[in-house]
Amino acid sequence: MHELSLVQNLLQQLHELAEEHRKTRVLTVYMCIGPFSGVVIDSFEFGFETLAKESQLTSEAVLIIENPDAGYRCCGCNTVIKHKHKQKTDQCPNCSETLLIPEGGDELILSRVEME
Amino acid sequence: MCDSCGCDLKPDHTHDSKMIEVHQSLLAANSAMAEKNRAHFDSSGTVVINMISSPGSGKTTLLEKTIEAVGSSIRIGVIEGDIETERDAERIRAKGVPVIQLTTGGACHLDAAQIHKGLHLLEKEKGGDQLDILFIENVGNLVCPATFDLGEHHRMVLVSVPEGPDKPAKYPKAFHSSGLFIISKTDLLPYFDFPVNDATADALRLNPKLRVIPLSATSGDGFDRWLDYLQDICRKH
Ligand SMILES: Nc1nc2c(ncn2[C@@H]2O[C@H](COP(=O)(O)OP(=O)(O)OP(=O)(O)O)[C@@H](O)[C@H]2O)c(=O)[nH]1
Ligand SMILES: [Mg+2]
Ligand SMILES: [Zn+2]
Repeated sequence: MHELSLVQNLLQQLHELAEEHRKTRVLTVYMCIGPFSGVVIDSFEFGFETLAKESQLTSEAVLIIENPDAGYRCCGCNTVIKHKHKQKTDQCPNCSETLLIPEGGDELILSRVEME
Repeated sequence: MCDSCGCDLKPDHTHDSKMIEVHQSLLAANSAMAEKNRAHFDSSGTVVINMISSPGSGKTTLLEKTIEAVGSSIRIGVIEGDIETERDAERIRAKGVPVIQLTTGGACHLDAAQIHKGLHLLEKEKGGDQLDILFIENVGNLVCPATFDLGEHHRMVLVSVPEGPDKPAKYPKAFHSSGLFIISKTDLLPYFDFPVNDATADALRLNPKLRVIPLSATSGDGFDRWLDYLQDICRKH
């Protein structure tokens, strides 16, 4: 359940941003969480729902999570193969190489915040 | 009354909202601290290994046997991470090497800030400021520790034979991010259904750069390859 401590990081960051921009209420939080980030999105959302309520600043904030595709780079022909889900094919559709290295997908990024 | 500004307008009136572009990792603070730790370890010439596994895979036992095996040829230090108790640190201390225990008080992983505190504590222990290898035994958990860079140079993941061969497929993050995969307790292979080749193939499919070493801390099987690995990373550092 490291998702909870990550949500705490997020809330901390939101408080700092609100102070910096002199805002009193967070409306929408846009995150990008990749398939290899090691974060379970359901747990992250649950943690956010629970912890955001505790402060006036975030009590009504809506969390929107963008979930980019997983990518694999083929060691044979250098193609990047994109997958909707974590499941990957065992072979490059291009050259049949089986050595495919995960590329990117470990995003855990606070993209933007709407505040008033 | 509107509680965001205290004005007397209807509750549904709108205030000026603003979109703030941030584009920063939630792990930014941890990563910055991890880089600091790594620079610190580099300046003291210490190679740091972060050990990740489920509870009871044999991390502490592997460390005990490794300390016995290398004697004074490699100067080893250990940072132990556990949710509670000093037990693992006591086991390592009994082997005569510098060790400190970090207790996370409930948290399921170590983070870079804890390691920063830990490395300064360790330096106060006898011999703790002159190490060839520092092992960080992370909290027993195959999931959460994988997300947090501690400032280590190498990350290793252990799976013991009784846990079953499906762990690479089920917990990919730890295998993605590690350079070494230890299959531990191989003395138990006769009693469990653990096809070493399948587990190895699964792990390599996730991360073709993984080195895989099956070993048993009790029988000593495979230990020569493990010790070679340690010599190797010391030499390359
Ligand atoms: N048969 C066998 N048992 C082992 C081996 N290595 C460790 N064990 C046993 O496995 C149990 C757990 O070992 P530990 O070394 O404490 O495991 P750990 O990974 O440090 O555990 P935590 O710190 O609690 O996560 C102990 O009872 C050990 O004696 C091995 O190579 N073979
Ligand atoms: Mg232990
Ligand atoms: Zn290819």
